[in-house]
Amino acid sequence: MADATPGPDPVGPAPAVRPFLVTAGRVADAAPGRSLPVETQVVATAAGLDALGRLSFERYDIVAACRLPQSVAELAARLRLHLNVVRVLAEDLREAGQLAVHVPDAAATHDASVLRRVIDGLRAVSDSRGVPSDTD
Amino acid sequence: MTPTEPLTGGVAAATALRPPLPVKMVIAGGFGVGKTTAVGSVSEIEPLTTEASVTEVAAGVDDLTHTPRKTTTTVAMDFGCITIDPTLKLYLFGTPGQERFGFMWDDIVEGAVGGLVVVDTRRLDDCYAAVDYFEHRDIPFAVAVNAFDGKVEHTLDEVRWALDVSDGVPVVVFDARERGSVRDALLVVLELALARTEA
Repeated sequence: MADATPGPDPVGPAPAVRPFLVTAGRVADAAPGRSLPVETQVVATAAGLDALGRLSFERYDIVAACRLPQSVAELAARLRLHLNVVRVLAEDLREAGQLAVHVPDAAATHDASVLRRVIDGLRAVSDSRGVPSDTD
Repeated sequence: MTPTEPLTGGVAAATALRPPLPVKMVIAGGFGVGKTTAVGSVSEIEPLTTEASVTEVAAGVDDLTHTPRKTTTTVAMDFGCITIDPTLKLYLFGTPGQERFGFMWDDIVEGAVGGLVVVDTRRLDDCYAAVDYFEHRDIPFAVAVNAFDGKVEHTLDEVRWALDVSDGVPVVVFDARERGSVRDALLVVLELALARTEA
């Protein structure tokens, strides 16, 4: 599979061709620190929700889905869009003032007090789910 | 289950919502080793799948040139999350991996607080790429041997020896299907990450 498309194609082999039509062929910069981290939180702005009626297709879907904050990865999964398509469109929508994009602060997430809160919160997770899981 | 606080003032209030701080952990390992199962065991949502791009370095495949040939491939990535409180959310990303290729997962891993390398003792070599990756990136990680059917074919010392991980890397046995077991394995990684901040 890796031999299918040697050369500069930055998105790899199909089936990713169709999704990138919506970004006019633009792709997110894959270099570290230059594209939105997958856990980046996005939420619609008032301007974005006001403009909802004028947005089309994927842009509409993204702003509408972002009434509640969620990660770029969740958005891609729920809208069935390639992660990098969401990254590009999220940047567009941010520039248009229609989406607030909260890039996680690496210093904050690696802070000892934050890690302690995650540890305490995770410890509180019970051994098993409230609902019986199906057997496989 | 609700990822954020409920809206109180209708749609317009959404703009006032402050998203939680996302803390990211990565679950890595070879194909079919139990990554998605592990994510699903602790995640508060059904694991989601999205298409992500990874850069493959075809090391050792093309011997004519000594420059590693890099190609970008679209792969399926599974992930889930645990809401710690309204201001803090833990994300678990299962990174795709396969044999023969060294992956550059920077696009997914950038900013992660730690990693868990899931290992099937019957196919130890499937996880070399993940172990190498975390070591070279200096990301706190632990090796978690998935006890399929409650059985592990090698002792932890044998696994440690075979993977050649340093003494500072915890090697634990867990069951990817058991919520408490996955939780405890993740806690080992988080404690390691915390210890580093205090070092």
